[in-house]
Amino acid sequence: MRLATDTGGTFTDLIVEDDDGSITLHKASTVPSDPVVGVLDALRGAASTRGLSLAELLGRCDSFIHGTTHAINAIITGRTARTALIVTRGHRDILLFREGGRTEPFNHTIPYPAPFVPRALTFEADERIGADGVVMTPLDEAALVETLRRIGETGVEAVAVALLWSTINPAHERRVGELIETHLPGTPYSLSHAVNPTLREFRRASSAAIDASLKPLMTHYLGGLTTRLAEAGFGGKVMVLTSAGGMVEASEVAAAPIRVINSGPSMAPVAGRHYAGREGAWRTAIVADTGGTTYDISLVSDGRIPMTRDLWIGEPYRGHLAGYPSVDVKSVGAGGGSIATVDTAGLLRVGPGSAGSTPGPACYGRGGTRPTVTDACVALGYVDPDYFLGGAMRLDGDASRAAIARDVADRLDTSVEDAAWSILDLATENMVQAIQDMTVNQGIDPGQAVLIGGGGAAGLNSVFIARRLGCRELLIPETGAAMSAAGAMMSDIAAEFAVTTFASTASFDLDRADTAIADVRRQAEAFIERAQRAGSISYVAEARYEGQAWDIDVPLDSATFATEDDVARFRAAFDATHEQLFTIRDESSAVELIGLRARVSCPARSGAAFRLKGDPEATGEARSRPVYFSGHGWIETPVLRWDAMAAEQPVAGPALIESAFTTIVVDPPARFRRTADGSILIEA
Amino acid sequence: MTDKPMNGAEMAVLRSRLDGVVRKMSNTLLRTGRSGVINRARDFSCCLLTRDGDLLTAADSLPIHVLSGPDMMARSMKQFHPELRAGDAFLHNSPYHGCSHPADLSVIVPVMDAEGRHRFTVLAKAHQADIGNSQPTTYMAEARDVYHEGALLFPAVQVQRDGRDIDDIIRMCELRIRVPHQWRGDYLSTIGAARIGEKALGELAAEIGWDRLEAFAAQWFDYSEARMADAIGRLPAGRVTGSSTHDPFPGLPAEGLKITATVDVDPAAGRVAVDMTDNPDCLPCGMNLSEACARTAAMIGVFNSIDHDVPKNAGSFRRIDVKLREGCIAGIPTHPFSCSAATTNIADRAANSVQTALAGLGEGIGMAEVGSVIAPSAGVVSGIDPRTGRPFVNQIFLAMSGGAASPASDAWWTIGHVGNAGLCCIDGVELAELSQPIIVHRRGFVTDSEGAGTQNGAPSTIVEFGPVGAGMDIGYLSDGHVNLPAGVRGGQPGGGADQYLIRRDGTHGPLDACAQVHIQDGERIVAISCGGGGYGDPRERPANRVADDVAGGLISPARAREIYGVVVSDDGTLDETATQIERRAAA
Repeated sequence: MRLATDTGGTFTDLIVEDDDGSITLHKASTVPSDPVVGVLDALRGAASTRGLSLAELLGRCDSFIHGTTHAINAIITGRTARTALIVTRGHRDILLFREGGRTEPFNHTIPYPAPFVPRALTFEADERIGADGVVMTPLDEAALVETLRRIGETGVEAVAVALLWSTINPAHERRVGELIETHLPGTPYSLSHAVNPTLREFRRASSAAIDASLKPLMTHYLGGLTTRLAEAGFGGKVMVLTSAGGMVEASEVAAAPIRVINSGPSMAPVAGRHYAGREGAWRTAIVADTGGTTYDISLVSDGRIPMTRDLWIGEPYRGHLAGYPSVDVKSVGAGGGSIATVDTAGLLRVGPGSAGSTPGPACYGRGGTRPTVTDACVALGYVDPDYFLGGAMRLDGDASRAAIARDVADRLDTSVEDAAWSILDLATENMVQAIQDMTVNQGIDPGQAVLIGGGGAAGLNSVFIARRLGCRELLIPETGAAMSAAGAMMSDIAAEFAVTTFASTASFDLDRADTAIADVRRQAEAFIERAQRAGSISYVAEARYEGQAWDIDVPLDSATFATEDDVARFRAAFDATHEQLFTIRDESSAVELIGLRARVSCPARSGAAFRLKGDPEATGEARSRPVYFSGHGWIETPVLRWDAMAAEQPVAGPALIESAFTTIVVDPPARFRRTADGSILIEA
Repeated sequence: MTDKPMNGAEMAVLRSRLDGVVRKMSNTLLRTGRSGVINRARDFSCCLLTRDGDLLTAADSLPIHVLSGPDMMARSMKQFHPELRAGDAFLHNSPYHGCSHPADLSVIVPVMDAEGRHRFTVLAKAHQADIGNSQPTTYMAEARDVYHEGALLFPAVQVQRDGRDIDDIIRMCELRIRVPHQWRGDYLSTIGAARIGEKALGELAAEIGWDRLEAFAAQWFDYSEARMADAIGRLPAGRVTGSSTHDPFPGLPAEGLKITATVDVDPAAGRVAVDMTDNPDCLPCGMNLSEACARTAAMIGVFNSIDHDVPKNAGSFRRIDVKLREGCIAGIPTHPFSCSAATTNIADRAANSVQTALAGLGEGIGMAEVGSVIAPSAGVVSGIDPRTGRPFVNQIFLAMSGGAASPASDAWWTIGHVGNAGLCCIDGVELAELSQPIIVHRRGFVTDSEGAGTQNGAPSTIVEFGPVGAGMDIGYLSDGHVNLPAGVRGGQPGGGADQYLIRRDGTHGPLDACAQVHIQDGERIVAISCGGGGYGDPRERPANRVADDVAGGLISPARAREIYGVVVSDDGTLDETATQIERRAAA
């Protein structure tokens, strides 16, 4: 048996996979002060449904896969280790300058962001390497030792090192690392060229600083998790999900914790890829995960998990640019808690303010008085106030209607139903815009894609989102309500190795490029050996037209640059990718190769069908309730129980499909069926 | 489609979709552009206009590029080309016909419906690495006139027909613009952005209808106007005058050039009037404002001083009356006076005059002065790259700050200048060293150069850099050495600009504030940019924030005591008792 958990802000999701490949899904409340408690609670729930003790359940499991927001939350709330940064002399303000840029040009209410490491803890090393890798100023070791002594006096818990051009010549960074070991023994440190070997020193410095600052905390957290699981009876391997959509052994995380900052959210696209392949062989899937306060989206094309190097922790330009490659999951502040308002000149707005879970929407009756998207869903009849979260919580429908009437309907001079519909419609539009930004940036036509909806609230407006996007089909997987945990269960043991290099098609240096790709190939092969499993390696070139500053990722079909043929194939792949993304190609310009990455993955799961165990109690008893649809008014709408639906029977909307974890709203024009594999497939 | 007006929800949706079209255009330009000024610094803007040339949206574009200018450019396209067809595209950079300055080469595409009717106009404007001036700079302060300046000018000249380039025009550009291959790549990228905008707008219209889109525009303008009237209604009534003086430059008077703006606020009528006519006549130099920049500078000063949430489009603009005078240096230029540097120096002084004037109206209004530009750290470098033997030309963005304090907040430091609003990016050292044969020895913020106030302005930046392997030329025009960025309402000025040369023997040599200079291999240029002004009395600033800056080395203990009345102990912590005594004594 295997276990996968995803610790989110509100719920800890657990998926248990039995040896026959069948799975069960469990949820427990997250305890932010001690996330391991939520994990153990969910495990107890899984044990009791099987009539086992916790120790008995854990004793039968050989791996435990964990997704966690512990690292990213620590950064957001400022609980990371006190960290010093050592940079090249003359460049102390590297984290203050960042890369410039700003949004909202006339908004002068936001001060300049503080650097990740304060200026007082940023120190300079006397040394300089040039753009060609040649040492221009040798490292002054005596001065550095004195600096390390001063760093020791500040009481820092970790040290990051980011020297200019260390990706081309890492000798100085390595030597600084050795001197830290000697003079600050036991202090964890991170070297920028090892953490994130990329051109653009700000991103490298930012990655190194974040990485170092997470070392004490993540070592402690994962050590504690492993120990407590072992004490509870677990004897298998603890694996942690990475930002790159794979997993590594918990013991490997301590060396580079920045690898797991986007652990958890990175798994939704992995699940999306699985379902896109299994249920319809779509080329492109738009994977959307709806939470209480955020809406996370990603695009999976041709089975590839999308990556980004622009991962912001916090808002773009105002937060911290991690600079580290991550699965490209974009998070927008739109969810059930988003508050609706009408401004002084009569324009409706939904968000960015959120009622969160405290005080929460008006219908929660916890002191919230402002209308939210959840209130709109209650007023429209989409959410049954008596059966919220499987009946675990009763909602106050009158409070929803009163809040909408007061703050929106009266202001827009419209009915409560129309106002509620407008709130949901605008929330839908905000989500659609976020998806479109992503699809246009990647040159993808949503009309050719399937929308995959995950998260407990996905079913409320995914039909409308799909129709607005022009997606013909919408898929809500069986495990949609715990999409990240499902992805975790399917994920591979994976890692990515990167190297900076330079070669131009104008005069291609075959030796240099071939050496670089051989370098990452060797690292990837060594990883497979350590994992003791079969694995595959894919290669990506980072390249651009001469003069461009932004490179694009080009998949390579071979792992060598041995001949001019290899170069010609690389060039052709680049032109094609550039045209797909930006509609233009320029065959008269040279193409520059600036980096290579090897992505290695070793499948961890057998090929058995990934199916939720049915609920034998489920019945197809006919129920219905009135529901409001724009353009149709109130319609008495059948309520179907997901488990009890027959497979492959086409049904026309309207309908509500309910399970213990979610409700799906299907409006009159849509048609749907339950697939043989258990998902709900809707033609919007 | 019905004639029923859209409700607030429908409007919000369409607004968001049109902003999405502009973002899509911008993304194309950034990712595919070839010169650093576009692909690293992001010195470009995209916008949508109605058929009549009214600005609909320019989401997150550079203010000085778009508030006014695209409107006049779109109208001049219609004036010169009354018969527009699908597939047409026009080049425009004439400051005498609505463009900001000649370096901002723009592509304008009329968006036509299936019946061939002109419905909307899209515009992509990108600052060029070179525009063919007689010197390798895109800001030629000493240009006596347009002939001496030498920029290739396109007053709405057709560059595409039926979606294909008119090669005559391309050949002209390739002969007269430096590093033609780089220019060609940037042109491709700009035309790509405009065409992507045209396509996206067409798709939107296919879904909701052209008539409905036009109805939205009209209603969106009315909404924006109402928001603007409401924002102005919250200001006190009054007439205030502000001024700001540009440093002495070649072609300017020896005492510098004073710019004055008089602002009338009428909250009852919901209107603001800015009078820029009391300013000197055009001068035989490259510093004259284009009409677009004069008008926009006045509007920036107003929008910086009010609720930032008011949409910026032709609707809200109806509530601002900008009075300009023909033949005035901060007005409507007469040909052949040159407008080579119209987006920055005098325009910055104009916008600053308006926002500091408004600060005089009362507490919580207006803004301090944003620092001046263009220091050598953001100059235009050129020469022959010894690594490749090929020529290079590009505007670098190694450092800039200049951010001014507002009543609500400390400055955003990396603002660049008031017309830029911080949207431009800053070059990384490694990418800059890779792209040009230069080395950056030092880059940082300058201690004790912040504009002290209750809210602080940005500190100055300092960059020490030079060529590697061969000499190089650099052009810059660094205002703000004599006339520092002023604080308001008791706030102090931010640090001033300066520059000097470090010779190979280590001795220092002076450099002019505005120059085109040759730097030898092994020499270094030191460039100090302006900080920004503070807002309010520094002695009202929370003491712990001053102490934090002392700990970070941004403020010296002596300055903390003298300017802020804040005492920091020898161990670096705030001495609250001593601070209270110090502040009480000063009160």
